[in-house]
Amino acid sequence: MTALRTLRSALIACALLALPGAAQAQFPNIGGLIKGAQNVKKLGDSLRKIGEPEEIQMGGDLASVILGTAPLVQDAAKQRYVNRLGLWLALHSDRPNLPWKFGIVETEDVNAFSMPGGYVLITRGMFDRMRTESELAGVLAHEISHVVRKDHINALQGSLRDSALGGFTDYIGGAGGGLAGQFKTALINAGKTMYMRGLDKDDEYDADRMGVVIAARAGYSPYGLVGVLQTLSAAPDDKGFALMNKTHPLPVDRIDRLDRAMGTKLDGVTNVVEDLPSFVALREAPRAAPAGAKPAPRRGRRKN
Amino acid sequence: MRRIVAILLAAILLCRVTSAEAAEKGLVLRAGDLLAQPFIDAARSGPLTANQPVTILQRRGAWANVEAGGKTGWVRVLNLRLEPGPAGAARPGGARPSGGNPMSLLQTGSSGRTVTTGVKGMNEEDIQNATPDYAELELLGTLAVSADDARATATKANLKENTVDYLDKGRSRK
Repeated sequence: MTALRTLRSALIACALLALPGAAQAQFPNIGGLIKGAQNVKKLGDSLRKIGEPEEIQMGGDLASVILGTAPLVQDAAKQRYVNRLGLWLALHSDRPNLPWKFGIVETEDVNAFSMPGGYVLITRGMFDRMRTESELAGVLAHEISHVVRKDHINALQGSLRDSALGGFTDYIGGAGGGLAGQFKTALINAGKTMYMRGLDKDDEYDADRMGVVIAARAGYSPYGLVGVLQTLSAAPDDKGFALMNKTHPLPVDRIDRLDRAMGTKLDGVTNVVEDLPSFVALREAPRAAPAGAKPAPRRGRRKN
Repeated sequence: MRRIVAILLAAILLCRVTSAEAAEKGLVLRAGDLLAQPFIDAARSGPLTANQPVTILQRRGAWANVEAGGKTGWVRVLNLRLEPGPAGAARPGGARPSGGNPMSLLQTGSSGRTVTTGVKGMNEEDIQNATPDYAELELLGTLAVSADDARATATKANLKENTVDYLDKGRSRK
């Protein structure tokens, strides 16, 4: 069983890193595995074979990067709210059983991120601009779609090509040590590049299209996401939207693609809400720590 | 008593939302018709031209009630963008950011790293220089809820589940 798992990890590593030459030089006995992997499946297919535990582990490391730039908003009510809504939406996706985790991170900038394995982070700037709960549902469902479709693995692949091959096995096996550390460093750097450059543009359009369906399945107006895209369309040069704009297709193009895909197809889905009183109350509640005020000491953080 | 206050407060807040939404300025994406009602086969109230400015009065699902060229009617939300302008202006519930000093930063004693005070942005450089924060990751894990919790909350909110097929890309207009 362990041997099988190791073999599988090695195959995944080969597929992920796609560096047969260097691999053979570094690990002479691994060449056969690579050939095997290549013979059985094409590279793209093999990537889909990354197991859930591997995805979750990678997702955790990548989530830590975003959390390293902006910590979680210290507002338990809001965090619980997005977790309940987010999981409810994810239950209507094709991967309902991932250990989904949602969080609002403390920055004025408008953005949302997701990581392999079920991590979704939305910025406070984005959260604060939601007109209705169906808009929030639209954003979360878009991010959920990236996770479901494994778009991150696709984006990470290129960057990881240059990193140490054997490390993936140690990284996944929890062995720690030099190779695992090398892979983790490579993964974190690749993740940073991914969050700075964005995912494949087509993956964004696809996630929009899947997201509106997930929202509608969960009882929300599928047009919530359209409202968000309109908000984005108003701010082409706004600094708070800079990274979001750089990493996504133009909001107007996204609206256009959604119009082509949606047309009036979802008009028959009338059992949906645009907003909930609970969200109105939550959004308008005074913030626990007003912006500009000195932040409360962070939990679990040593001082000096 | 407390309940009445809460209801009044909610009513006031809802009014604020409505009035703030009324301030949204939009642009028509594609030429088409302004309709008398939010239905595809509704009577035509007038023509709409591409890039025509409109004032968005109300959103209702696929439709927006707009004022265009002195006429009021309905248009698909997918045929609207917002007029470029201050991003925060459109937000419901009134004024946005501006509060807080963007320069207010705090040095942590432990790492010497500059951390946010809640008014910081998140740009490429911030991500490039990020140190993974595993304490926050652990905290994130504690925030997760169970599927039963999520289902119970949705049931309480009276959310209805729908059967909806995934969409294909649709036809290109070109």
